[in-house]
Amino acid sequence: MSTRPVLWKAFAPIELGEAERDLQRQVREFLARELPRGTFEPGLGMNNPADPEFSRKLAARGWVGMALPKRYGGGERTAVERFIVTEELLRWGAPVNHHWVADRQSGPVINRFGTEQQKERFLPAICRGELGFSIGMSEPDSGSDLASVKTRARRTDGGWLVTGTKVWTTGAHRNDWCIVLCRTSDEADKRDGLSQFLVDLRAPGVQVNPIPFLDGSADFSEVVLSEVFVADDLVLGKVGQGWAQCTSELAYERGGPDRWLSTYLVVEQLLREREQGSLPDDPELLTLLGEAVARWWNLRGMSLCVARGLDAGEEQAVPAALVKEMGTRFEQDVLTAVERLVALSPSPDSSSLFERLLAASILAAPSFTLRGGTSEIMRSVVMKGLTS
Amino acid sequence: MTDNTLLEVTAELFASFEPGGDPCEWQGAMWKAAAEMGLPWVGVPEEAGGQGGSIADALAVLKLAGAHAVPLPLAETGLLAGRLLAAAGADVPTEPTTCVTSGKAEELVLRDGRLHGVAQQVPWARSASRLVVLLPVDGTWQTVSVPLGSARITALTNLAGEPRDTVAFDGAIPELIAEAGVDGEDLLHMGALTRAVLMAGALERVCELTVRYTEERRQFGRALARFQAVQHHVVDLVQTTASVGLAAESAVRRRLGGSARFEIAAAKLLASQSVHPAVRAAHQAHGAMGVTQEYPLHRFTRRLLAWRTEYGDERQWAARLGTAAAEVGADGLYPLIASGSHN
Repeated sequence: MSTRPVLWKAFAPIELGEAERDLQRQVREFLARELPRGTFEPGLGMNNPADPEFSRKLAARGWVGMALPKRYGGGERTAVERFIVTEELLRWGAPVNHHWVADRQSGPVINRFGTEQQKERFLPAICRGELGFSIGMSEPDSGSDLASVKTRARRTDGGWLVTGTKVWTTGAHRNDWCIVLCRTSDEADKRDGLSQFLVDLRAPGVQVNPIPFLDGSADFSEVVLSEVFVADDLVLGKVGQGWAQCTSELAYERGGPDRWLSTYLVVEQLLREREQGSLPDDPELLTLLGEAVARWWNLRGMSLCVARGLDAGEEQAVPAALVKEMGTRFEQDVLTAVERLVALSPSPDSSSLFERLLAASILAAPSFTLRGGTSEIMRSVVMKGLTS
Repeated sequence: MTDNTLLEVTAELFASFEPGGDPCEWQGAMWKAAAEMGLPWVGVPEEAGGQGGSIADALAVLKLAGAHAVPLPLAETGLLAGRLLAAAGADVPTEPTTCVTSGKAEELVLRDGRLHGVAQQVPWARSASRLVVLLPVDGTWQTVSVPLGSARITALTNLAGEPRDTVAFDGAIPELIAEAGVDGEDLLHMGALTRAVLMAGALERVCELTVRYTEERRQFGRALARFQAVQHHVVDLVQTTASVGLAAESAVRRRLGGSARFEIAAAKLLASQSVHPAVRAAHQAHGAMGVTQEYPLHRFTRRLLAWRTEYGDERQWAARLGTAAAEVGADGLYPLIASGSHN
């Protein structure tokens, strides 16, 4: 028998504590009050619209930057507490996009690798829900093969000059900052010689060009950097350690509720349509509902294990990849099941909320298993975790 | 009582009897060894002659039984028949005992204190001393225990070759008819929980076998595990094992504090739903070696295929869960997902 730790044993049941359930109640009450159902257009998970005003209100409740230290305005809460807040926001369809990336990963990464000065400069504004961050990883020739990035930073007086092109940069046109991965030296192993920089998206030399998504919406962009000056005090972490920093960021990015809730509202709204009598009372609908509820319960449990693991200081990159691949595949599968069941030709501008959600989901679905690392890469991360 | 040491000893015992030979044949020596450790009666109260310990202890033993394809009626003797007898205030026998849900005993009737009719797919009836069934009598559930000596038993097996016999009674005199204290739904859920846990154990073994085989077997000069197309199967299996394992364990924990109807339904649904993709992936990754009697994979994949439908398949449990979800309605849907039976 093999003696290596068995990956599936990383998933054990978790019950929320009393304080955690209380937080859940508070978030539900807040949402019911701030965003009553029927008074706003709910969005699909993390694709939701950006609403800086909503982000600030949420921050005022202490629900942005929850994982960050109190001295920078954070909540010093656990990953599980942040999980509880984010799952409620996502399943409600709340407009979380403005603070999403900063809260999920940029803040924690700055807290982990940044200088004292950087923490004081960025973290309080992140915790107030003010600063929006973008992720500057992918490039035209570097998708899954991230270590091949060509954006280059050259030494200059007092800092660096950054030149290159980043793509699929969500929110770059409205966000303030972007954490850009670039090559600072050429080394034998291409994972060496990479560094991360905090780039002001409004600095001279930064040009943001929208990349329209297949449905015509424009939330991601190409960011062209031409000799953009980045001062030494905006280097994030150690020069040459960009790869390790980036990969540590991925556990925050991959194992959370945003990877299995993107199509939740389609099913909730399907049930609402049934209640309002606008759908035939089909036993197939109950079967679909039962299967979906079981899968969400299960994925939620797995995802919660990743959060508890992060709180315990355990390495969660592999379990997070495992959950992300399953979760995003399910987001697509459940949608396909709904499409087959209702046999509609949904219009994105229908007067029915259900149809609008369905249409938007169908068009967004191909990206679920791509963004944040493709399913193929997730499987290879899991496989390496099994055999290493 | 089932601390980790006992589970280790249990695993060693089960492993020492592997492979258990023809699954249809009664493994007397193995039963004797398991009975000496009290394993069939874990989770049955000591007052009733059981071994004591919690339901979770019993299910931990069953998970190991699933992982070692143990050909004994452990679930039936303890958690099912044993607990039914204990709930009815009776003592448990020291011999193997079997049990079926009311659904498989629909044709059984009590007339003037005698049992008539046919029970279907009775696990291990040919080797068990007694059959324990729940029968509705005048609107209340009665636990009926009847010796199998006088029954007409037709030997049948399930897909895994495990005995699932047809048992006919023609005026047999039960040794116990007593108010059950539980109902048909309770028994159905306990049965489904035993199968979900057995399946979680079997999946672990299928996964281990597949990981090992694909690392050791070389073709085209490299291990199968180096081929992306094969990795895809392996990762699918790891995900299934992790998710079904978590689902089953979550149901077990919740069952300690209540009836855990939601969690048991979801766990059995997920376990049953995983069977065909998991069995296909494991066999595909093993190639022709996996479809031989000699290689152990079939002992687990066949059991998974058989257990998929026992105590309800995925569609039956999905319909039940879907009905429960429709009852809480759209506004209650997410709270149900997040809190399950504690909702």
